[in-house]
Amino acid sequence: MTMNPWITHLMKRLFPPQVLLPDIIGIDIGLTVAAIAAIVFLTKTKRWGWLWREWITTVDHKKIGIMYLLAALVMLFRGGVDALMIRTQLIAPHQHFMSAQQYDEVFTTHGTVMIFFMAMPMVFALFNVAVPLMIGARDVAFPRLNAISFWLFAFGAILLNISFSIGGSPDAGWMSYPPYSELMFNPGVGENYFLLSLQVAGIGTIATGINFLVTVLRLRAPGMTLTRIPIFAWSALITSSLILFAFPPLTVALGLTMLDRIFGASFFTLGHQGMPMMYANLFWIFGHPEVYILIMPAFGVFSEVVPTFSKKPLFGYEAMVVSLLAISILSYGTWVHHFFEMGAGPGVNSFFGLSTMLIAIPTGVKMFNWIFTMWGGRIRVSVPMLWQLGFIPTFVVGGATGVMLAAVPADYQYHNSYFLIAHFHNVILGGTVFGVLSGMYYWWPKMFGWKLNERQGVWAFVFFVVGFWLTFMPQYFLGFQGMTRRMSTYPPGLGWTALNFWSTIGAYVMGVGFLIMVYNIIWSRIHPDWDTTGDPWDGRTMEWSLPSPAPEYNFARIPHVHSRDEWWEMKQEGRTDEVKISEETVHAIHMPRNTPMPVLLALAFFVGSIGMVFEWFWLAILGGLGVVAALTYGSFADYSEKEISRDTILHTEAQLGRVES
Amino acid sequence: MDIQRHLPPPEPTGHGDEVEVRILTPHIAQPHFPAMQVTGYGLSLAITLIAFAMVAYHWMGLNTLVTVLIVMAFIQGALQLGIFMHLREAKGTLWHLPVLALALFIGLGIVGFSMWIMLFKSGVS
Repeated sequence: MTMNPWITHLMKRLFPPQVLLPDIIGIDIGLTVAAIAAIVFLTKTKRWGWLWREWITTVDHKKIGIMYLLAALVMLFRGGVDALMIRTQLIAPHQHFMSAQQYDEVFTTHGTVMIFFMAMPMVFALFNVAVPLMIGARDVAFPRLNAISFWLFAFGAILLNISFSIGGSPDAGWMSYPPYSELMFNPGVGENYFLLSLQVAGIGTIATGINFLVTVLRLRAPGMTLTRIPIFAWSALITSSLILFAFPPLTVALGLTMLDRIFGASFFTLGHQGMPMMYANLFWIFGHPEVYILIMPAFGVFSEVVPTFSKKPLFGYEAMVVSLLAISILSYGTWVHHFFEMGAGPGVNSFFGLSTMLIAIPTGVKMFNWIFTMWGGRIRVSVPMLWQLGFIPTFVVGGATGVMLAAVPADYQYHNSYFLIAHFHNVILGGTVFGVLSGMYYWWPKMFGWKLNERQGVWAFVFFVVGFWLTFMPQYFLGFQGMTRRMSTYPPGLGWTALNFWSTIGAYVMGVGFLIMVYNIIWSRIHPDWDTTGDPWDGRTMEWSLPSPAPEYNFARIPHVHSRDEWWEMKQEGRTDEVKISEETVHAIHMPRNTPMPVLLALAFFVGSIGMVFEWFWLAILGGLGVVAALTYGSFADYSEKEISRDTILHTEAQLGRVES
Repeated sequence: MDIQRHLPPPEPTGHGDEVEVRILTPHIAQPHFPAMQVTGYGLSLAITLIAFAMVAYHWMGLNTLVTVLIVMAFIQGALQLGIFMHLREAKGTLWHLPVLALALFIGLGIVGFSMWIMLFKSGVS
């Protein structure tokens, strides 16, 4: 059979041998079937219009938050399956469940997905859901920009996720260090996917940073001074400023690598006086603040959860704020600890080793503040509080091993061993993920109007935490015994076999924990435990003064805030009727209109990125023109707002029983 | 089209920074051609291209080059802040000062530290 040579070439480029493995083809078929099923379902139930009007074009921060959360859970599944594949490969010596090449692709995807497409959107989900409600705002400062951020993230995630079935996955690790990520050693399109997907998602992330910075600084309710906002809003503020300073270096590093790969520049190449280590330097100027971008929202969640479930005001509010600020400043002076071995010399290494150790101090302050908040409180061990209780020992171990890694001479031994792997999973999984899961269970009723089943939540927690410790504790010892990261297989007789076996068993236990959590969500959706009060946890901050879920305009009347735990004070002083409105006090509310521009803009970015990935420049230019067109449309379209009338508000609030007669 | 008409007047926030709320209101109804913005855009592109050419075509020695690049970076920064980042439009607030100082501190820190860190290469290779 003869084929048009052009088509043969195209097919080879789209489907190189690395994507034609039987398991990948199986997944492709499964995904196609699932997509067809979804399309049929949406068409049969006539939900396309609903999907478009209510979700795709929405600029409502609550809905955007829910979309971030669902996307993050899907990505947690994807990254989790990758993790299980890695652990399956390592369960015993000389396993060949995957080839070395596929193993590289899987750990690269695992890291990239978990950091950029699971943890970040999970954090943004909680920001979107909670921050405007906490500070008494009707939406974020720039609602349309918020939708743009979400869709850029979503299309960035799609871009990375299609790489395994079209064109080939990236395989240079989630840091993608040159020279291995350069064209000379990595000629496929995988690395292009990595660069472009992070670039697209990164634009959205920077926009989110700007958005929440302005939201917290500008849209606070009257009387809500900066010393009265909940710590979670503080953490959103500080995280946003970190994003603003940290992401541009990543943009630069990715951009220069793209110039190297696609346009023949030599910023980081081995030849032509390229400087590969400069990439490591730029990447970690971003990368180190990034880990604090991930952990500070978790700190914020716990600072809300602990007081609520201890029925006590947060111990040391000022110390919490100061330590957050100290962490944010210090986090900019520590990045070299990711590459002490580069050989920058004792001066540089001592400076950055010391600055790294210093960060442990403000973090320790926060630990003690949470413990002192619980001390003498009436503690209820609900699921959000359970995750917090699981977090404290996990994060302390992670932090202590971090200080061990900061000791420069010792780091020459630990570097890139399984000790490091165990350390950063301890802080990112045991810190960030425990934090966002705690926040998810905590704010779930506020998002959907029903609570997640408590008993199933406890089981999910138990499996997840037991699995967590079982997975990562052996890895510290594997690190001491010399096992390095990214080994695709290992020989017997090194004393690694038993430790690896238990680590893999732990990973599967964690997987069961995740499945229970999914079951928990689906079960609770079918048998909803409606939250009719809007305040299921006896909360302290303003979001619990609203019905669950909050109406589109959040607050029928913007509250006047007099103290830190305003809603708690109102309940104590019997002033809860203050949130009700009456015929006289209600006004029409202006809200931003829905717009298709964000999703079209992101789609144009996606099309252009595909063009860049495969170096089809006509497509890249087409995508670029699409971006310009979407921006022009967005600038000149009549962006006037819609008005929610007095009658609508009165009707909605009366149904919720919030109108004074 | 007068967009400001559609927006409600800024409500008092009670934080003592009511003046600034006005800045969030978009100033879209500008009758004249945005000459300054277009010039600024052209200038910033020109500075970028010159900087690129200076490095690509080895116009000068390393030390002079680094000095000139840093000076040009400052000019570029001033252009962006002054023309596109609404720095000159702010009235009645001192908020900008600490933020700018922080940005300068971090920006200079990143450049300075990177130079310090990467200097090892001249000693090794």
